Amino acid sequence: MMIRLVSAALVAGFLAAVVATGLQLALTSPLIIAAERYESGEATAPAALWMPRGASPASLIVPVHSGHDHGGKDHGGKTDGVEGGEVAPAWQPGPGLPRMVFTALATLVGGVGYALLLGAALIACGREPSPETGLRFAIAGFLAVALAPALGLPPELPGMEAAPLAERQFWWIMTAAATAMGLYLIAIRRSSIAIAGGLVLLVAPHLAGAPETSHTASALPPGYAAQFAARSLGIAFVFWAVIGLAFGWAWNSVGRKSPATSHA
Amino acid sequence: MTTNTLVLTGTRSNERLGAVLMAAFLGLGLVFMAGFAPAMALHNAAHDFRHAQNFPCH
Repeated sequence: MMIRLVSAALVAGFLAAVVATGLQLALTSPLIIAAERYESGEATAPAALWMPRGASPASLIVPVHSGHDHGGKDHGGKTDGVEGGEVAPAWQPGPGLPRMVFTALATLVGGVGYALLLGAALIACGREPSPETGLRFAIAGFLAVALAPALGLPPELPGMEAAPLAERQFWWIMTAAATAMGLYLIAIRRSSIAIAGGLVLLVAPHLAGAPETSHTASALPPGYAAQFAARSLGIAFVFWAVIGLAFGWAWNSVGRKSPATSHA
Repeated sequence: MTTNTLVLTGTRSNERLGAVLMAAFLGLGLVFMAGFAPAMALHNAAHDFRHAQNFPCH
């Protein structure tokens, strides 16, 4: 069963990564790269259109930078990875193809990870994996790790001012875990007490509130941010849907081809 | 993986529990690596994926 689960997760993660990488490179990466140009101040001329008269581009861009610890023109290139102010340039993929390759690789790692979690959830809940059950659990996965966290922490482009990273990561993980548990209680347990508890879990992270984003002016055109948030959620949904469908399909194909492995 | 499967000689439910725990552990590890790992090289490599999938990033 273990080999079958891992095999199905590898297949599902790979297929989802292929689809999601294509979508990311076509839809979100161009926005990220454009945002980095605003963040680094390269795109000052168009940015000036979005600023009040009299404000120099630098005066608005500097505060955005000051809250972060970015270095270098390419936003990914943080230089202060070492504690204590020592500046050592951190490795980063080169622009163009290397960057795309690493985006694809990260999507693959994330896709396989999500597929393993989806498989674990299916088996733990006693569901026989199929494209149908896979898709149902995938929708729950999308709600838990994409939509619910995005309600409090909308998908951000580089250069958008935000609360400290550790706080946001903590809230993100708590929200994803609470939403997943809430959905489990509502959809699988289904007793009235479980449904009430599940609703509380769904709502609690949002009542507690996400770490507040400071409302510093950014040179980034708001249209970019809105477009990015919508595209990001759309891609996340497709990512999860492919993971769920492919996991159910692969689970059954792996089982048919080598029935012995499932009893190994 | 072969060593893992050999360990599972118990009942069907033990096998199921083992598979679930292993997959959950491995899955969380991979998601952490792609989405949360603080190492700069990993952050930079996974940067565009983290933004696109709405993981809190820098």
